[in-house]
Amino acid sequence: MTRLLSFSVKNIKRKPTRTAILVFAIGLLVSALVFSLSFVQRVNGSIRKASERLGADLIVVPTGARGATEEILLENKTKSFYMDRSIMDRVAAINGVAAVTEQVYLVTLATLCCSVPEAMVVAYNQDTDFIVGPWLIEKLKRKLKKGEAVAGSESSFNIRLGLVDVDSKLFGSMFKIVGTMDKTGTGLDNAVFITTDNLNDIIKSGKVTVKPGQISLVFVKVNPGVNPATVAAEVENTIIDADAMARKDIGKNIIATLKDMSRIFTMTIILAAIMSFFLVWAIFTAIANERAKEVGIMRSIGAKESHIMNLYLAEVVVIGVLGSVLGILFGSFLSVVLAKGFTIVKQLSTDLSMTERSLIALASFVGGMLICVLGALGPIQRLKKLEPLTVIKAE
Amino acid sequence: MGQIVLTNVSKEYAVGSESLAAVRGASADIAKGEFVSIVGHSGSGKTTLLSLIGGMVNPTQGNILFNGENIYTWTSDQLSEYRCEKIGFMFQSASLLPILTAKENLLLPVAFRSVQPSNGMDARAEELLRAVGLGDKINAYPAQLSGGQQRRVAIARAFMNGPELILADEPTGDLDEETEAEMMDFFLRMNEQQGTTFMMVTHNTDLAARAKTRLRMHQGVLAKA
Repeated sequence: MTRLLSFSVKNIKRKPTRTAILVFAIGLLVSALVFSLSFVQRVNGSIRKASERLGADLIVVPTGARGATEEILLENKTKSFYMDRSIMDRVAAINGVAAVTEQVYLVTLATLCCSVPEAMVVAYNQDTDFIVGPWLIEKLKRKLKKGEAVAGSESSFNIRLGLVDVDSKLFGSMFKIVGTMDKTGTGLDNAVFITTDNLNDIIKSGKVTVKPGQISLVFVKVNPGVNPATVAAEVENTIIDADAMARKDIGKNIIATLKDMSRIFTMTIILAAIMSFFLVWAIFTAIANERAKEVGIMRSIGAKESHIMNLYLAEVVVIGVLGSVLGILFGSFLSVVLAKGFTIVKQLSTDLSMTERSLIALASFVGGMLICVLGALGPIQRLKKLEPLTVIKAE
Repeated sequence: MGQIVLTNVSKEYAVGSESLAAVRGASADIAKGEFVSIVGHSGSGKTTLLSLIGGMVNPTQGNILFNGENIYTWTSDQLSEYRCEKIGFMFQSASLLPILTAKENLLLPVAFRSVQPSNGMDARAEELLRAVGLGDKINAYPAQLSGGQQRRVAIARAFMNGPELILADEPTGDLDEETEAEMMDFFLRMNEQQGTTFMMVTHNTDLAARAKTRLRMHQGVLAKA
């Protein structure tokens, strides 16, 4: 077996340019696979993780504000929208709802109201909150006081200053940044958090569009065993001014966009796979023609069909392994460097875990090997069936 | 019964709409350890006869027995094992693999054996190369060897798996007279010392005369010379 493998390696070295072309083609295919799988998994996974980390089963937003909500929670965009606070009470009264808490979203504008760059300011109700609190406990072991704020783990001024006890002017009022949040992996990492106690003063300043008695959205927890989608449907049926999104539906708009991108990736990969398949087939057909006499000699001195098969499969496998490994390295590099150019990836902060990266590498490796082996299989089958005498006499 | 028994063996090839008989009703009984020469003009069917005995082409009719077994009832893998372990082939051309050195060419049939020998094969390959006068060309590639040297590597390769039968198709065709005689001595030595059966096709009547049994082929018919 070792002798046959070393023979395969010698065969590979025979025409280095041709081998390099094959390795390069397989490498390109595998790198495209790694890149697209990483991209889709990163965006998909980030959306899933973000919705899980929010801690709510349901989000109720003003009618027509679903997209804006997803943009805030998933894409770190700054938006504001409002609805009447009474909607929260009506949601709380729906059967199956266990808890509700509201948030009010404000957008800072450096030149008009605030001493910080444009950012989301989230006012949350400390008494009912189950969204922000869990991420604050480790950093600040007390409730926030009026005039105090907490910066999200990646909010612009937290990143710039890297420290707390900084006074910032927000909507005409002075706030002291007293802590930073743990990373949530959602758009809230870029926000600044204050309590709803501060809202009256902010509204009085006239620098915001929110009016007294208005909130941006309601986070809902449902009772154990209750299907959030059922409660969401009930909210939409009974409250005309509100839309409801179950956890699994959060990010639907982005996922829809992603599906289109996935289609483009899939088409590209299918085309690359077909091209690679035919390239491998064409090159191995040429190899089969070139080496027909050698196969005839080997068959006449005792090689079985399985020996010929194994000999040439080993050659394909070595080429496939080389191409796939190079493709995984290049694709991983692209997924780290090039993906940053995609807004959708830049705005979703969650990275892939080691396990996810390994699985993508493994799937791409298998894909590259399959194309390589399948492409060469036809010519190799033909080679192994050659009659020794016919081949030797033909020479 | 002999080691190789041919009974009314014929081989016809289709040439367009007609059939051409390369071998016609050949019969022979060759004992183990015999040295047989076969002479005949080009196209008389000598190579086809050797190919039939070597299990490389199916006869149109007749039986070929090796040690009492009809080789054409065997599977493709059994025929490969027969070619690998029982037979040593020498073709009209050297038929070496160009990317393997002389020694690696000798080791190739060893790689095809169903049971791999534990060790000693490298030493055997070197010993055989020395026996055919190529002790200084062990690691040379075929392209670095002359036609005669390549032919001698192919001769050495045929003995690598210790075959019971050597099928040699004009094995000394590219060799000068002196080397040709040396190779013939080598064959006779292997025949006497190791009991290897030889069936050697040749145009050279002097060489043929050194064989114990002499056969002649004429228009596909095998007869005693």
